[in-house]
Amino acid sequence: MKLLIIEDNEDLLQNIRTYLKREGYICEYARDYKQAFDKVMSYTYDVVLIDIMIPGGSGLQVLRELKSVNPQTGTIIISAKNALDEKVKGLELGADDYITKPFQLPELHARIKAVNRRNQRDGREIINVNEIAINTDTMEVTVNDTPVDLTPKEYDLILYFASNKNHVLSKQTIAEHLWGDYVDHLTNLDFVYQHIKNLRKKLEQAGARNYIESVYGIGYKFKVTNHA
Amino acid sequence: MKLINKFISIYLVVTVIVLGIGGYISYFVIKGELDNELKWRFMDRIDRVTHLLQQGKHFHHPKTRGDDDRNLVIQPLPVNREPETIIEDTLVWHDRLQQMEPNLKVSAYRTVEDTTYFISTYGALVETDDITEAVVQILLWILGLQVIGAIGVGVIVSGRLFKPFRETLDRIRQFNIQNKEPILATETNVKEFDDLNRFVEEMTRKAVADYKNLKEFAENASHELQTPLSITKGKMELLTETDLTPEQYQYVEASQRAIKKLSRLSESLALLTKIENHEFTSKDEVNLTDLIRQSTTSFDEFIKLNGLHVETNLEEDVILNIHPVLADIMWTNLFQNAIKHNVEKGEIRITLTPTELEIRNTGKPLNIDPNTLFKRFKKADHGMDSIGLGLSIIKQIADQNGYTIAYDYRDNWHTITITFASEQS
Repeated sequence: MKLLIIEDNEDLLQNIRTYLKREGYICEYARDYKQAFDKVMSYTYDVVLIDIMIPGGSGLQVLRELKSVNPQTGTIIISAKNALDEKVKGLELGADDYITKPFQLPELHARIKAVNRRNQRDGREIINVNEIAINTDTMEVTVNDTPVDLTPKEYDLILYFASNKNHVLSKQTIAEHLWGDYVDHLTNLDFVYQHIKNLRKKLEQAGARNYIESVYGIGYKFKVTNHA
Repeated sequence: MKLINKFISIYLVVTVIVLGIGGYISYFVIKGELDNELKWRFMDRIDRVTHLLQQGKHFHHPKTRGDDDRNLVIQPLPVNREPETIIEDTLVWHDRLQQMEPNLKVSAYRTVEDTTYFISTYGALVETDDITEAVVQILLWILGLQVIGAIGVGVIVSGRLFKPFRETLDRIRQFNIQNKEPILATETNVKEFDDLNRFVEEMTRKAVADYKNLKEFAENASHELQTPLSITKGKMELLTETDLTPEQYQYVEASQRAIKKLSRLSESLALLTKIENHEFTSKDEVNLTDLIRQSTTSFDEFIKLNGLHVETNLEEDVILNIHPVLADIMWTNLFQNAIKHNVEKGEIRITLTPTELEIRNTGKPLNIDPNTLFKRFKKADHGMDSIGLGLSIIKQIADQNGYTIAYDYRDNWHTITITFASEQS
């Protein structure tokens, strides 16, 4: 997958690139409006990450121009502002998603994957992890072609794990992904454990190996070693 | 006491003093004048008698006291005397009044053709009582007119002259720094009021500018914080990907929690600032009943996990005129608050009527003053991972929409009531 990251902050850019490169993505970047404009006009990307506040112009302008030449490109807006009108404006201009700083890298990654899936529509609705298959269209999970009956939260969870294979995901990260801002005010994250326990049990009963590994004190890791 | 009343009373007190002094002086002036007049009349009479004597007129019957008309005594003296005039006050018995009356007596010795005559005349002085009475009567009339005048002027002054002052006062009263509108000076034709208005304008302009700067600073600062926080968070995540010992993981986890808290804090502050800055002013009809139903459903999981029991008593289709985002934030904060500060196997009761929203939850008694509850960074439990802005946000939203918010604790039940009074009026 080919990505363009439009972000002027060097450290933030590096964080995103380091994380995404590990996934085998081709990550290009632009640090200001001019660079972004040139890249968007000259090449095509699968997904473009756009920071709204960039030197020399607005990320929203880049988005507008990108959509005029390559409307099928997936776009995610990154903004420090949680301002509602900007979000609405971005989504009106055709952005596929909106993520506010400070975001979590696994979350960003999951969203990139989701945007990409939505935009490609070329039979990639099925995500395969060895014996596990996740159909993102019908929201069905099968293990060796045996359907697994999952709750919506469990489905979200397995999809999130599959999107962030071999990454350590903290309980906090998982909770935020599944419940959004609601977890902000809750300190007891035991319910994450409950959900993971149920998911693990269901997958194992269906004949899958135990991919969900506990990382002591931190959270979990979806460990896939012989990933094809 | 109104300024004008104070002014009138001071004016009247001064008037009374002035009139008192004036009356005292008037009394003596009038009395002096009257006495002089009487004296001169008697002197004139003596002169005329002398003149008649010189003309050779004889007064055959020397008159003595008893002639009420003239009270004239003309008496030839056996010896000659130097001409002399004596003026004296005496008391004379008044037959009709049956009392002694003060009289003026003028006596003179005049020599006409070698005979010295004693000429004496007297008459009742105008009584001091009468003068006093007259003076007092006049003064009372003047005072009465003064009072009427002062009140009349007072009404006109307070009605018309003080109008610009009252207008300025009203505008100061209505001034709200959060509206960021200074009070503009209006022209009056009174210098003092113009000065006051200009001063008020300058002052409010400055206050508004300072307030704006402060708010912008707060908002920018919390936005600026998000980028470094993002970076740190990302680095921490990348760090967890490396080969860490369990101990190191714990440190990373703790740092991440702190970063999360910091980021939430700055978000909440930015939100508070935004609400204060009136960034959510547009209002819409929000169905609070639906909102509460939906959110209790989405919180279902947490409610069950915390072993809580939620009881709702909602009236159908309670519509509020509020910014939808604010309604959502207000309710979510209230509800989360009720979950968070609850006890094991606790209860939450929600009652919604068109005028009131009441949320009650079981919980431990507060260990802080309930009056400070809605202040920023006031936390019931410092050990808890909360940031202490939730209730401030609720209060801010309530204030901005003209709702009143009240807190009560009784028998292990915390109750927060929001009254939508303005919706009814």
